[in-house]
Amino acid sequence: MTTESPFQLELHAVDQRALDPAAALEFVSDPGFGGITMFVGRVRNANHGRDVTGVSYSLFAPLVLKVFERACREAAEEFGPRLRLHVSHAHGRLGIGDLAVVVAAGTPHRDEAFRACRKVIEIVKHESPIWKKEHYSDGDSEWSEGCSLCVREAEPMAAALKPHVHGPDCGHEH
Amino acid sequence: MKIEIRLFGCFSEFEPDSLLRLDLPEAGLKVADARAAVQTYGEQHWPRFKPDLLRVSAFASEDSLLRDGASIPADGRLCLLPPVSGG
Repeated sequence: MTTESPFQLELHAVDQRALDPAAALEFVSDPGFGGITMFVGRVRNANHGRDVTGVSYSLFAPLVLKVFERACREAAEEFGPRLRLHVSHAHGRLGIGDLAVVVAAGTPHRDEAFRACRKVIEIVKHESPIWKKEHYSDGDSEWSEGCSLCVREAEPMAAALKPHVHGPDCGHEH
Repeated sequence: MKIEIRLFGCFSEFEPDSLLRLDLPEAGLKVADARAAVQTYGEQHWPRFKPDLLRVSAFASEDSLLRDGASIPADGRLCLLPPVSGG
């Protein structure tokens, strides 16, 4: 007998399959759950005052899925055990308004659903080996600089995937 | 020791196929030695190289992040991960 995982983790090449919020909601739904929350990240048309025409995401899939899994496990420890989570991220070239990331959480009550969703999206954004290149209307393109994954020697191993130092030109906001 | 480093993010555009192959002088080296070798190589070959960015970039194997004090995997394969910007 196998038990279905309460976590659904997906990486979508956008030229093959777009992210699907409806499927995410369906996955985290349960007859005993009254609280469903979802975060949807879309490509916006401006970055630091410059007009953006699109972005390209690249990622290192094996480690990304490990981080997604850890994010879900940590959320389950904090807000579970009655919790279902969906995490999906796009890679490839995306246009304005396209979906970049979807996180959905289902729990019996709203508070846990909101908090679990927030916890997971913060880990996804800050700790997953995913990189974004912004394409601007003037033809220029630039890699976004975000959060360092560097592991400091003094940190315990448990912190190995819980870094948070920003890059030198980081435009990242919390 | 021959090492092969998969380059990600901005580093991915610095080498064909996003792969950097280096021959380090001794076997059994640490990740810090690979970092120093990339620093030297980058300064000599990459016009857009930023030492500050390398300093905050992580090294990893196929399945985990590696500290600078960790040994380079026996197969010599590493990944270089600049600061991340998903979501």
